Amino acid sequence: MVTLDEVLGSGLLQKPSGHDAPEALQRQITNYKPLQTFKLEKTRPYQQQYADIYFLRLTKIRPAVEAAARAAWEGTVLGGEKVKRVERVLDVRQGELCWVAGTVYMDMPLKPSILEDVSKDRWISAPTSIGHYYSGNGDDSIMLEDDSGRIRLVGNALQDHFMVTGCIVAVMGTENTNGEFEVIDLLFAELPPQPERWSLSKGKKEESEDVEMMDASFSGHPSKPPSKKIAIVSGLEFSNADTSYAMELNLLLEYLLGEALDPSTQRDELSHITRLIIAGNSISTTANETTKAAAYDTSTLKNKFQPQHKKYGYDSSSYNPIPSQLFDNFLFELLPTMPVTLLPGALDPANASYPQQPIHPAMFPQSRTYMSPPKVGVGKDGDVPEAEEPGWFDNVTNPWEGEIEGWRVLGTGGQNLDDVFKYVESEDRLGMMEAMCRWRCVAPTAPDTLWSYPFQEDEPFVTKIVPTSSLSAASPSSARKWSRGPMAKRSD
Amino acid sequence: MEDYKTYLVENVLSDDKVVTYRLLSRALRVHPNVAKQMLHDFHKTQSTKKPGSVYATYLLYGIKKSIHHQNGNAMDIDLPSSLPDADPVDDDDVPSYTLALVQEDRLADVLRDYETVSSIHVYSIGPHPAKDLTLLVDAAQSALAIKDDVKKPRPRTIVNSHVRRREIRGSGFKAAAAAPIKQESKAKAAPTKTAPAKPSPAPAPAAAPAKPKEESKSATPATEPEAQAAAATKKPAPSLKRNTSAVSGIMQAFSKAASLPKKAKTSAKSTPAAEDTPVVLSDDGEDDDDDVPLPKPGATSSRKSRKEREEELRRMMEDDEDEDMEDKADSPAPEEEEPVVEEPSAKAEAAKEEDKEIVTTTGDGRRRGKRRVMKKKQIMDDQGYLVTIQESAWESFSEDEAPPASKPKLKVASSVPPAAAGKGKKAAPKGQGNIMSFFSKK
Repeated sequence: MVTLDEVLGSGLLQKPSGHDAPEALQRQITNYKPLQTFKLEKTRPYQQQYADIYFLRLTKIRPAVEAAARAAWEGTVLGGEKVKRVERVLDVRQGELCWVAGTVYMDMPLKPSILEDVSKDRWISAPTSIGHYYSGNGDDSIMLEDDSGRIRLVGNALQDHFMVTGCIVAVMGTENTNGEFEVIDLLFAELPPQPERWSLSKGKKEESEDVEMMDASFSGHPSKPPSKKIAIVSGLEFSNADTSYAMELNLLLEYLLGEALDPSTQRDELSHITRLIIAGNSISTTANETTKAAAYDTSTLKNKFQPQHKKYGYDSSSYNPIPSQLFDNFLFELLPTMPVTLLPGALDPANASYPQQPIHPAMFPQSRTYMSPPKVGVGKDGDVPEAEEPGWFDNVTNPWEGEIEGWRVLGTGGQNLDDVFKYVESEDRLGMMEAMCRWRCVAPTAPDTLWSYPFQEDEPFVTKIVPTSSLSAASPSSARKWSRGPMAKRSD
Repeated sequence: MEDYKTYLVENVLSDDKVVTYRLLSRALRVHPNVAKQMLHDFHKTQSTKKPGSVYATYLLYGIKKSIHHQNGNAMDIDLPSSLPDADPVDDDDVPSYTLALVQEDRLADVLRDYETVSSIHVYSIGPHPAKDLTLLVDAAQSALAIKDDVKKPRPRTIVNSHVRRREIRGSGFKAAAAAPIKQESKAKAAPTKTAPAKPSPAPAPAAAPAKPKEESKSATPATEPEAQAAAATKKPAPSLKRNTSAVSGIMQAFSKAASLPKKAKTSAKSTPAAEDTPVVLSDDGEDDDDDVPLPKPGATSSRKSRKEREEELRRMMEDDEDEDMEDKADSPAPEEEEPVVEEPSAKAEAAKEEDKEIVTTTGDGRRRGKRRVMKKKQIMDDQGYLVTIQESAWESFSEDEAPPASKPKLKVASSVPPAAAGKGKKAAPKGQGNIMSFFSKK
C-alpha cells in the first residue's frame, strides 16, 4: 500500500534545482560471443532427402540414451527374467523382456502428412492452421523406429512423459501378442553436460570479477549489489494499421534508453541492462494482409486503363514499408546506448524454415550502420573467416546460440516450442522447454511438422551441451505483447 | 532556466498540445530528469493559479500487490519485468515490476494497489485529462522528430562508450558501393582511371588480355610506380592550371580522364594511344558512346551518369529473361545491391568525393597529396564467373600534373610503334568510332 503523501515531494516531484544537469550514466557492458551453429551457407542445395536428419540425430543421441539405459536397467530382473539389450527395433522378440533405443514417431490423424499431400496431388503446402495435432480420442499412436523398422508402443508408462516425433528414447518392456511393445519404463538422454563458464570467450576472466554478482542477480536478492542484466523482448510486432500499443512500445524504448524513471532507478537498474535480445516477431504482417487485398482491388481496376508496372510478378505497390521503418527507427534510437541481438521469428521477413537465417540488413537502412560490415566480394559465407568482432547490432539466426558474459544462452523464436505444443495435451510450455533440453534436441519435430532445412552432414539441432539459460519467445500466454526474463535452468 | 515556462505556456496552454518530458528535454536540450521536474513545477504552479487548466500524467514503476488487480483503466500499461531467478524454489517470489501511466486524478487509487513504488514522475502534461493514448504517441513521435544537433547534443541519461559503428570501413564501403553502378555505365567513359592503364609502361597495348590477372594480384602495387612517377615528374609544364576547379565531384576523382583531352591538345601525339588501350580492356561489351560526356564539366556528366544508371537499372528490371540479371543475382556480393536502396544518397556521395583528398604539401603554390580513386579488380570466383569488384584505393597526386600517370603514359607512347600512336591520334579528337578502333587494333 502506497499513499499519495508518501510519494509526493520525493525525487522528481520537485522544483528543478537549477543545478547543472546530472552526469550521464555509463551503461555497463557484457562480454558477448555469438556462435554460428545454425548459420547456413548462402549457396545451399535443397536436393537432399530429409531422412538423413533422423539418421544423424539417432546416431548422435543414441549413445547417450543407451548409456543412461544401461546404467538404469543393466542387471534388472523382472519376474524372474533378466532384461536384455536389443540392438535394433526389428530384433525385439515376442515375450522377451528387453530394451531398445530409437526415434519416436507420433502417428496422429490430425497431423499434416506429406504422404497425404502427395497422394492428393497437393504440391503447395500451406502453413498448418491446426491448433493441435493431439486428438484426445485414442486415435493417436506412438511408434518407435530406427533404420530397421518400427514398432507400436503401448503402456501406461507413456502417459508420464511428453513425447513428440523425433525425440530419441530408450524403452524397456516386452512385445505382446498384438505385436505391440508394452512399455514398462522409458528413458531420455537427459541433460547434456553444461559448458564451463567462459568456455568460449576466454581471457576476459580477470577483468570481470562478477561471478558472484551474476549469481546475485539470478537469485534476485535486493541486498546484494545489482548486476548486469540482459533484456529480452519478443513480439514487438510493429504495425502500420494497429497502433493500439504504440504507447507501450514508446514506454519500452524509454525504459531501455533509461530516460524514464528516477535517477536512482536509472543508476541501479536501467544502466545495468547491457543488451537487448529481440526474439522474433518484430514486424506485424496482419496489417499487410488487409492492405495487400486492398491494393489488389485497385490494381485490377487500374489494369484497364494503364499497364501495370510489374517486375518479376511482384507488385511493388502492395508493399508496405512502414512496419519495418518503425522498427528501424526504434532500433536506431536504441542502438547508441545498447547493443542489440535480433533473432527472426515466424512473422519476420526471413526464410520460413528452420533454422531461420538473419534478417537481411537492407531491412534496416538506418540501423545497419551498427552492424558488422558485409564481407566484400565474397559470394559464400563459408569461405570467410568469422568476423573478429560481432556487430553492435547483431542480426542472428533462429535458433541462436551464444555466450553472454560467459554464460551459454540458447534462444529461439518459439516455433519449435509452438510445434511441440501441438503434440501434447499439456499447457506447460516451460516443461516442454525443459523436455527439449532433456531430449537433447532443440527442434525434435523438424522436419516432420516443423519446416526445416534438409541437413546432410550435421544435425545442428542436437544440443551437445545444455545452455545455462534458454529462452523461447512468442508464447501466446503473455497477453501483453512482450514477455521478459530468461527462464533460467540449472543443471548441476 | 525559466524559458521552460514560456515553452510550456506556449505549447500546452496556447497550442493545446501534450508535452512529455522527452519532448521538453529534446526541445530545450535539458536532461530528461530535469525536464521531469520542470513539468512537475509547471503543473504545480499552474494548478494553484488556475485549477483544472493543466492535467498531468504520471509514470509509476514499482511492485504491485500480489493479488493481481485487474482494473478497467485503459491507461494502465503493464510491463512485467521480473528479475531472472535461478532458484526454482522461490519462483513465485520473483518481484514483478510494473510500469504504468496514470492520470493524475486516479493516482491515489492506483497507488493503493502498489506494495512499493520505486519511481514516480510526471510523464506528460496537457490541457485536458489524457484519455487517449494516441495524443501521447503523437507527442512521443514529435519528440523523436527533433534531431540531434551536432553542436549541442541532447543530454542523455545513459551513454555507452563502447558503441561501435562501421564508420571508417563503412564510409569507404558506401562510396565504393555507390560507385559501381555509376561506373558500370561509366566504365567506358572513364576507363583511364582504372588500374590496368597504369602498369602499362613496359608491355605494348596488345598485352591487354593478360592484365586482369595482373591487377587481381593486388591493387596497391599499382599505386607505387605511380607515386614514384609522380615524384619523378614534379615539375612538368604548368599547362594544366587550376581550371580543373570547375571540374567537380566525380570528375575530380577521374581527373585523369578529364584532363586527357586537354593533354591531347598540348601533346597531341602521345596521349591518344594511352586513351585507346583501356577501351580494349573494358570488355563489358556495351555501347561506347558514353565517351561523349567525358570532356564536359563534372556537374553535367555526373547528372548524366546518374540518368544513365537509372536507365540501365530500369532496363535491367524490366527485362525478365535477361542473362545479365541472372549474373547479377548469382555472383554479386550483397553490396552490389545496396546502391539501389540508397539511391537518393548516391548523389550526395558523389559530391562528397571531392573531399577525399588529403593534401600533404602546399609549398610553392603546388598541392601534393593523396586522393581516393576507384580501382577495378577482376577475379574469377570458384564457379568460374568473372567478378568485377570496385575498390577504393589511395593514389598520390600533385596539383601541377593532375594526371599522375601522364609521365608513364608519355613513355608508353614513345615505346609504342608509331603506327599505333598515329591511329590513336585519329581516334581521339572525334571521341567516337571507338568500336572501329577496337577492331582495327587487332
